[in-house]
Order: sequence, then structure tokens, then C-alpha cells
Amino acid sequence: MAEESSKRRRSIFDLIDEYFENLEAWAERVRETIMERPSWNCRTCTMEPLRDIMVTSNEVIVTVDLPYAEQNTIQVKPVSSDTIEISAKMRRKVSFDDFGITHYRGEFQRFHCQTRIPVPVYMDRMEIRFKRGILEIRLPRKHEYEIPIE
Amino acid sequence: MVWHGFSATFLQLTHKAIEEDENLNEEIKIIERKEIPKGAIMLFGFPDVGLVGVIAASHMISELGLEEVAYMDSRLLPPIIVLHEGLPHSPVRIFGNQNVLLAVSETALQGELIYPIMHSLIDWGRGKGVKMMISISGIPVQDRQDLEELKVFAAASSPEMLKIAQDKGIEILREGYMVGPQAVMLQYCSTLGLPALTLLAQCFFNYPDPEAAAKALEQLANVTGVKVDVSKLLEKGEEIRLKARDMMKRTQQELTKMRKTQEYDIPLYIS
Repeated sequence: MAEESSKRRRSIFDLIDEYFENLEAWAERVRETIMERPSWNCRTCTMEPLRDIMVTSNEVIVTVDLPYAEQNTIQVKPVSSDTIEISAKMRRKVSFDDFGITHYRGEFQRFHCQTRIPVPVYMDRMEIRFKRGILEIRLPRKHEYEIPIE
Repeated sequence: MVWHGFSATFLQLTHKAIEEDENLNEEIKIIERKEIPKGAIMLFGFPDVGLVGVIAASHMISELGLEEVAYMDSRLLPPIIVLHEGLPHSPVRIFGNQNVLLAVSETALQGELIYPIMHSLIDWGRGKGVKMMISISGIPVQDRQDLEELKVFAAASSPEMLKIAQDKGIEILREGYMVGPQAVMLQYCSTLGLPALTLLAQCFFNYPDPEAAAKALEQLANVTGVKVDVSKLLEKGEEIRLKARDMMKRTQQELTKMRKTQEYDIPLYIS
């Protein structure tokens, strides 16, 4: 009931504000996608893994490529209602020298990344498995409302 | 009258497109650094799903000790050089020995460059009397991490080449779409009457896949007799996956623009 009355109280200005907030959030996501940055970070000694997201009718499947990852160090944490943070320690330290690069200095022993989940999901019902160096995270989708078919 | 006007315009546009394609080809030069053997097999390892072709090519170069015999020079290419030991190299190069010529790209290629690049390489190979062209690549498969045994499929430029693959026990990719350098290669070789084959190993779409590259090389040996020991490739799998992350990321971006996912589409069969 309270929710209904609050909906009724929303003025055109509230709607405009909400529209611009959504637009800003969208622009931020686009900026994040477009912004080029290295796949490594010398300050935090981390490498950003390759990852992929698939949305199916009942779940979201996130996969992450984690070569050299130690299985028992893999951590997947929800950091907000739509973002998860993934980290894992590598079995060996990797330096730029290993890639034949001598003009940068740095060593890496962790993977780290944050990934936004594009649709509402139940974070607390997350299922995780690790096979052939690929981490697979399954998140059941939240279907918050349904439109009845007449 | 209207129809004549339309067909004339269509013909003009077609001629213009052919001219533009020829002009693009002319803008690409292949500079030879060594004497090129006649009658070799020409292979292609270009960035695509799972980086199968590039990983296979890179392994072949080190295992067979292939040397750079030619490189591509063109203003169409992005303004990129690859530095090796402080010296500049073209991102698209041809390596070889007496039996094999291997064209490889060390950078992801934009979709619009694939036609002129592939046409130039094939025209060049044809001029060198290449006896067969083979493109090494991948075919993405869902839940790849659950597959214990990877299959390799083949598509060919002619029924004769298809039979060669079938006789060697390679499954044929019967229906579907193909997107990327191997698609252009098959079509162009078919038009020119050049024997050509594409080997496609089941692989990850978005992750470098050294196992798939090893599988493709095994089938390459089966078809051509060019044997490459893949044990080191499999041993170094994790190292390769780590090294190939950035190239995979760039390739993913180009594959998205190229609509690579069309390969998942079910075609409407028109005989």
C-alpha cells in the first residue's frame, strides 16, 4: 500500500531525474567497455582474466579463463546487487620477462576482475565450478514480474 | 525502360565494386625476403575464435624452424609494427621452408581488410605455383570445457578436395555459415579453381585454445603429411593462454564487428 502511494506521488520531475540517472549509468557502462586499459596492473600485481557472460532464460552463466590458477584460492564475491568480484592466486609468479618484455617491470601472481551481471539474479544461489582452467559461475535469474498473456 | 535504367545502374555499381576491390589489392604489396619455393603447400593462421590458427602457426614456426620469407606492406593495414629484438616487422608475414609457406597475422584484422588481404595472399601464392591452400582455424562449441575429445571439421573449395578430407576420416562441415579469412579463402580459391581446404577444430569462442590448435595440426599432418610434434604445445598450454589474452581480447572485438556469431545460425537451405 505504502509502495502504491509512493508511486502515485512521483512527479514528472522525479521521472526525468530517474531517466537521467539511468542514462548516466548506461553511459558509464559504455565508457567502461570502450575505455582501453592494460590487462595487467603493476601496483596491485594482478592480471585481468578474459571472461564471458551468457544470459539464458533461467540463469546467467559467467565463465572466466584462469590459466595457472590454484583452485583452492579462487574467490567469487558479490560486491553489489549486480556486480561480482573474482580473484584467484596463480601457481607461479609471472613477470614481463617471461613474455620477452624488458621495457616494463613487474610481477603478477593474482587474477582479479569485477563483472557486472546484466539482469537481476539471486547472488546467494550462485553455483561455481572449475574445470580445465575455466571458472564457471551460474546465477539463477530473478524474474521480478511477469506480464500476463490475455 | 525503368528496368534498363535499374540494370545499368546495378552493372555500374558492380563494376565499381570490382574496381575498388582491385584497387585495394593493388594497395597491398608482398615483399619477398628470400627465394620462394615452387609447388609448396600454403597455410594460413589468422586471428579467429580460440586463436586456433595463430597458436598453431606460431607452434609450427618454432617446431619446423620456418623462416620469414616475405611480408605484407600496405597502407590498408593499421599503423602497427611488431618489434622483435628491437627491429620492426610487419604484422602480416609469410614464413616457410622448401615444402610449406605459412601466412600469419600477429594482429587482429578488421573485417573490411580481410577481402583485400586474403585476395592478395592467394594471388601471390598462385603466382608461386602453390599446389594447395589450407586455412587452420576453429569452430566454437558450447561447454567446450566439458569436451574430452575435440573434433576437427573440414570444408573445401571443390568436391575433389572435400573427398580428400573425407578419405582421411575428417568430418565435413555440411551446412552452415562461415565468417572470416577462411570463408574468403574458400570462396576465392573456388572461383580461381585452386585446391583449398579449411580445417576447423572445435574450440572456445573467446578463450585461446592450444588444445584445439594441437588437434588441428594433427589433422593437417593427416591431410598433407606435414608432421608437427604437438607435445610442447600441450605442455605449454597454460603459458600460451596467459600470453594470448590481449590478442584474444582484440580479436573478440573484431569478431563481434564481423558478426562471427552468425556461424551459430541455422541456414535457410536454398539448393
